[in-house]
Amino acid sequence: MSPLDSSIPYYPVNEFGPLMKGLVIGGVGILHVFLAQFAIGGGMLLYYFEGLAQRGNADARTFVDGYFRILVLVSFVVGALTGVAMWFTTIQVGARTLGLMVDEFHWLWGTEWVWFAVEITSGYAFYRYGPKLSARARRRLLLMYAVAAWLSLFWINGILSWQLTPGGSGVWAGFFNPSFWPSLVFRTCVAATLAALSACIVINTMEVSREQRVVLIHRAVRFAAPMALMPVLALWFMAVIPEDSRSWLLGGSMPMMMFVGVAAGASTLIGGYVIVGLIVKRLYINGATATMLLVLAFGATAAGEFVREGARKPYTIRDVLYSTSLTPADVAALRITGATAGDPYALRDAARYVTPQLARGAKVERVLCDACHTMRGTNALVELTRTWTDDQLRLNLAKLQRTKAFMPPFAGNADDVEALVQLLRWERAGAPATWPETQAPPQIATWLDEAGVK
Amino acid sequence: MWPFTASMQSVWLALYLATFALHAVFVSTVAIGTGYALVRKDALADKLRDWLPFLLGAGITAGVAPLLFLQLLYQRRFYTANLLMGPRWGAVVPALIVGFYALYLAKASVKWRRPALGVGLACFLFVAWSWTEIHALMLAEPAWRAMYAAGDRIYAEAGIVPRLGLWLGAMAALFALVAAYLAPSRLVALIALKGLVLATVCALVIGWNAAHGWSYILLAAVAVAAGGWGMMLATGRGLPVATGATAAALVAGAVVREAPRLAFLEPVRDEAATAGGFPVFAITLLVGVAAIAWIVRTVRSADS
Repeated sequence: MSPLDSSIPYYPVNEFGPLMKGLVIGGVGILHVFLAQFAIGGGMLLYYFEGLAQRGNADARTFVDGYFRILVLVSFVVGALTGVAMWFTTIQVGARTLGLMVDEFHWLWGTEWVWFAVEITSGYAFYRYGPKLSARARRRLLLMYAVAAWLSLFWINGILSWQLTPGGSGVWAGFFNPSFWPSLVFRTCVAATLAALSACIVINTMEVSREQRVVLIHRAVRFAAPMALMPVLALWFMAVIPEDSRSWLLGGSMPMMMFVGVAAGASTLIGGYVIVGLIVKRLYINGATATMLLVLAFGATAAGEFVREGARKPYTIRDVLYSTSLTPADVAALRITGATAGDPYALRDAARYVTPQLARGAKVERVLCDACHTMRGTNALVELTRTWTDDQLRLNLAKLQRTKAFMPPFAGNADDVEALVQLLRWERAGAPATWPETQAPPQIATWLDEAGVK
Repeated sequence: MWPFTASMQSVWLALYLATFALHAVFVSTVAIGTGYALVRKDALADKLRDWLPFLLGAGITAGVAPLLFLQLLYQRRFYTANLLMGPRWGAVVPALIVGFYALYLAKASVKWRRPALGVGLACFLFVAWSWTEIHALMLAEPAWRAMYAAGDRIYAEAGIVPRLGLWLGAMAALFALVAAYLAPSRLVALIALKGLVLATVCALVIGWNAAHGWSYILLAAVAVAAGGWGMMLATGRGLPVATGATAAALVAGAVVREAPRLAFLEPVRDEAATAGGFPVFAITLLVGVAAIAWIVRTVRSADS
């Protein structure tokens, strides 16, 4: 069968050695989010500082012209390109998820692109011609940059938050979904904070007196003041996400809860220092401390993005597409046909498997497990199941969504379960040269029926 | 008018082709311009070094839109080709990042100028080759399974070299389209002419498609462009004719390039067909174009 003919899209699956795919996309995504939010907050801060400069603060003018070059060189280049990289890595991890998002929201994605183009054009225009422009033109250009950058966030935020809380039917119900507003306000606060901390670093590199730096720093840190709202925004976000997702974050999943703790702890440290130390007590901050706070902010961003991604489990699009890139209807169909009946791609290492059943198990693993697991590396199947008995393996796999609530239902038939069980046992045993073929015990089919397809 | 019909798919196709053509102008100027700045020391090379980082940024930004519409038109083919090439395809992103900073280095440092431009040129040629390869792989569905099973990351098909040659020739002509306004010279006209010849020869190797009128429009535009560039080479005049015809050839060429792939257009998926938001996009596009026009007018008045 042609890879294009199946009703369920089967794509070639790549493996990244011991790295699970989530780590690959997570690494790219966190860097992209951090830089993009920095660029957004930076635009707002520059507009504010340009206003100060035009009211007579010469140091603010020096800051604008210096800070902007860093903004351009870092966030434009790496930010824009990691955005493209996000598409490419998402294809590697969940092509069908990206395809569905593009199908549903392509006009709004196109809208986001227009604002991004305005952001880039106004940014470059200011970077290149700023010193030659009139005061009015400078402010207008920076305002345009700041507004366009924020609108770019506005549009992409609706598409991304839709994955966790799809809302009702129709593009606008999906776009203005329940987590749209808390996410948007939260990200705006983060963007402003990142800009403030970066500005403190840049100000410390300026060749002006300490008194002059103090003036600029106390202006810049005002942008971090919205951090005070973050606890409220986080609670708002928690309140609108699905109950099961909330339960992972609040103790149902230890790693998720830890990441919530890291994000909250790092944010509290930054917020405490900035609000109490810099805004209320009006202390000075040197470059080293500002850098440390920015690194902490990167950690908080990373943890926050991990939480946002993890909270969607077992879906990539809530109630629509499981993390296996299969719909609930696909799961029902594959329970009958088997997980790999329509898979047109052969195993790359087929010769390694000593029986047809093990080869089938490897194909089942590739289709159903590989998006989130590796065999022996990160989130390793062998280690996660090492202590399970044979019948426990069969039961837990057949009733996968009951075994762990953040796992999707098993999308295959009893023979697929048995093949995967034998593969895991064989891998656990060190992949010996001989291995017996087994029949699927009748009970597996019963367990699959009991578990259902949702 | 073929290939456009009264359908949403034609709207996507038209937007894909229009944004692709815009993207092609920027990236052609960057790729060929980097080579020019590497080997030449003249006023155009100076201006190019100054503008190349911006032009690459503009090219990448302009490239996002055709990438979006491509996913609507050929989703399964594009994703499959991505996955088959895997990390080797993903390498275009770091290559562009390296190329971008190389252009900044070339602009800022006399000492590192030539190595930086050399690195940048290598990166851009790698990206051009990668796009040519993935385009060919998207169409080569019968080869997919064997390529995956073998674990190959490179799709070495005979048609890739002439196709890349065609592109390099077309890119030279598009580079001239921009360069002629930065610093007009007979050398620019010569580059355009050589590019058109290379592109024509490679097109003949690939095969002439006489099935639709766009091929003849392209042929006529190339002939007029060659005449215009030739006049500029001989007399120093003819730039408006050359650039007008080259722009027309770009539009016709974008359609002709797409023609063989139209047979592989995927059926419109329900979610895509019913997706809302077009009025918002259309209005935003108008606002965005107006905003960019205002920016250009503002900086030009400041520059004059």
